Amino acid sequence: MIQKMKKNCLGKVLLGALTVSLVALLTACGAGNSNSSTSDKSSGDGKVTTISFWHGMTGPYQKALNEIISDFNKSQSQYKVVGTAQGNYTTLQQKIMAAAKSKSLPVIAQTTYTTVPDYSKQGFIEPLDAYMIDGSNKLTSADLKDIYPAFLNSSKYEGKYYSIPMSKSTRIMYYNKTLMDKLGVKMPTSWEDIQKIGQQIKSKGVAAVGFDKSFDMEFEGLARQAGNPLVSPKSFKVNVDSKKSLEAANLIMDMVNDGTAKTAGEDIYGDKNFTSGKTLFYAGSSAGITHMKQGAPKDLEWGTMPLPSYKSEKATELAGNDIVMFKSATADQKKAAWAFMKYLMSKPVTAKWAELTGYVPLRKSALEDQSFQDYLKKDPTAKAAVDSLPFGFQSTAFVGFSEYRNDLLTAVDAMLTKHESTRKALGTLQNQTETIIKSNQ
Amino acid sequence: MLNEKPSLKSSAIALLYLLPMLVISITFHIYPIISSFAMSLYTKYDFYTDKVGGLGFDNFVYLWNDPDFHLAVKNTLIFVIAVVPITVILSLVIALLLNQIKFLSGFFRTIYFLPFVTSTIAIAMVWNWIYHSDYGLMNYFLGWFGIHPIHWLTDPNYSLLALIIMSIWKNLGFNIILFLVGINNIDDGYYKAAEIDGANAFQRFWNVTLPLLSPITFLVSINGVIGSFKVFDEIFALFQGTPGPGKADLTIVYYLYQKFYTEYKYPVAAASGVVLFFLILLVTLVQLWYSRKHVHY
Repeated sequence: MIQKMKKNCLGKVLLGALTVSLVALLTACGAGNSNSSTSDKSSGDGKVTTISFWHGMTGPYQKALNEIISDFNKSQSQYKVVGTAQGNYTTLQQKIMAAAKSKSLPVIAQTTYTTVPDYSKQGFIEPLDAYMIDGSNKLTSADLKDIYPAFLNSSKYEGKYYSIPMSKSTRIMYYNKTLMDKLGVKMPTSWEDIQKIGQQIKSKGVAAVGFDKSFDMEFEGLARQAGNPLVSPKSFKVNVDSKKSLEAANLIMDMVNDGTAKTAGEDIYGDKNFTSGKTLFYAGSSAGITHMKQGAPKDLEWGTMPLPSYKSEKATELAGNDIVMFKSATADQKKAAWAFMKYLMSKPVTAKWAELTGYVPLRKSALEDQSFQDYLKKDPTAKAAVDSLPFGFQSTAFVGFSEYRNDLLTAVDAMLTKHESTRKALGTLQNQTETIIKSNQ
Repeated sequence: MLNEKPSLKSSAIALLYLLPMLVISITFHIYPIISSFAMSLYTKYDFYTDKVGGLGFDNFVYLWNDPDFHLAVKNTLIFVIAVVPITVILSLVIALLLNQIKFLSGFFRTIYFLPFVTSTIAIAMVWNWIYHSDYGLMNYFLGWFGIHPIHWLTDPNYSLLALIIMSIWKNLGFNIILFLVGINNIDDGYYKAAEIDGANAFQRFWNVTLPLLSPITFLVSINGVIGSFKVFDEIFALFQGTPGPGKADLTIVYYLYQKFYTEYKYPVAAASGVVLFFLILLVTLVQLWYSRKHVHY
């Protein structure tokens, strides 16, 4: 009797397992089907074209994006955007890879502009020129002038536009007003000032400037201020260990080594060192303002400003994600996708997006927007990022960029944790980067 | 029923029972293994269109020449050699102690088992805090013995040790339970007989408990070796998506992950998986050979 019951149980468990796997298979197939069927139905005559949009926005950012998507869907009756949050950027990237392999890519997806060369080499993504520059729904030349050039530049690869900017932040400088008053420090305007302040307050146990765990973005910014990008656009000449880049790396590493600068190490982000008064300034992302507001003690008065100049040059790296359109979509879907992309870049929408998320607006004219002006007045910490936009830059993207970025982070890490000299670490990186670029040509 | 001769019908029925598991195994285990073996030999390969330009051992040559892969193998071996023996010995000792105290033993068993059922991410977050160089518990305790704060997570000389300590702690719970089961399965008669022969506590442990526990010890060590060779999520979580400071915690699976997901070198990733497969196979075979002589069932 007991034997029999056991067998029955086992049978049920097996049956259950089989059912679960079957259901999983069926739903997977079902999802695939629904994707293609919507595209079939959507040929003109009053029918709605549905497009799928994968993104990596979570928490308040996801809420803001959903609001914008629903605004778009209500603003017209031809197109419907269905947004799907795929977790963070890393998982989003992995899902795009898996979807590309199984031929089930969405119509559009968020991705970093640095993956564009890889995606375009694999033939996944559609150039946008036919919609953006030509076509019936194109951007006017006034529009193109209005969008910050750094964003347009990073959207371009081999002479064609492949992406539109979306969630963008800049590197800015946070300052601890309370501590500055206490130490009698004046507001710096240049890295040279900061070096001086560093020497001045070293004896008081405070480092002048804090960085995140890695200072790769500040390094690239300083290299540009010194006179060269790490990789030249178009020619893809690698300047990682050039005299100017070394000068930039030395400036940071000298400060780190003599205690006037501090990297975040195990804290990952430099805000902890900053709010606990270990560093007077903090060079970080403008996307961290929300975090800073939560983390800073109430009696600490802090503010933001654009990154200081170096040799009277200004530069700040823009980070964040773009949106790309996949080739596998139908012509109708692509048209719908472009309509949504254009909507996202329009003046009121980009201003609203910036207000809701703290990302920067994509257009200069968004600054004239009344509600955006009110927002800046209400929240002055958001102003530094916007003020940084005119001298913002983005790294040169090339095939194999993510491998290069791994190596860049390794090089910075080697300087910090293995105490490798800047010349050695950047020399290695120079060779690695040249190999990557050569092997992918 | 058991003595029935296998007929065509009974075999068909057996197959039917096996079918669900077989389908799952073949689709999710056998097929991927075969395809990754094949992929490791592809030379000019387009992952997305499945176009193979040629076959050869280029990917293995790449691994042979890649200092990062050498580092990954070295770190993995150090990790396995440190984690497995310590885990086995520690969990055996704790299991013996738990077996001695009847009072609160259920409570302690639960405590030791908790790390096993907690997600690695949560564990790593707690250890991140324990290891913090400024306000971590670890340095606080070490401070009692006059040891200067150690930068567990940012010093390449200590970060592998940090990973090893966390992994041992995480592995203990499950192994303790296995050892407890093994200890309870030993017939009391053996101990009584040994006592009559005048064996002291240590002799009883050495000559009764240890030999009769050998099947469990064998299971625990095989499990430990395989699991430790495949270490990945602990690193990813403890060092927040990096292979540790100065790549001090780069292991074979982490290397594979990087090649696959961030460098898009799919065949190289597959080749490193094959190397890992044979490494584990080799060690397991050695263990099996050893067990023939020393494990008493």
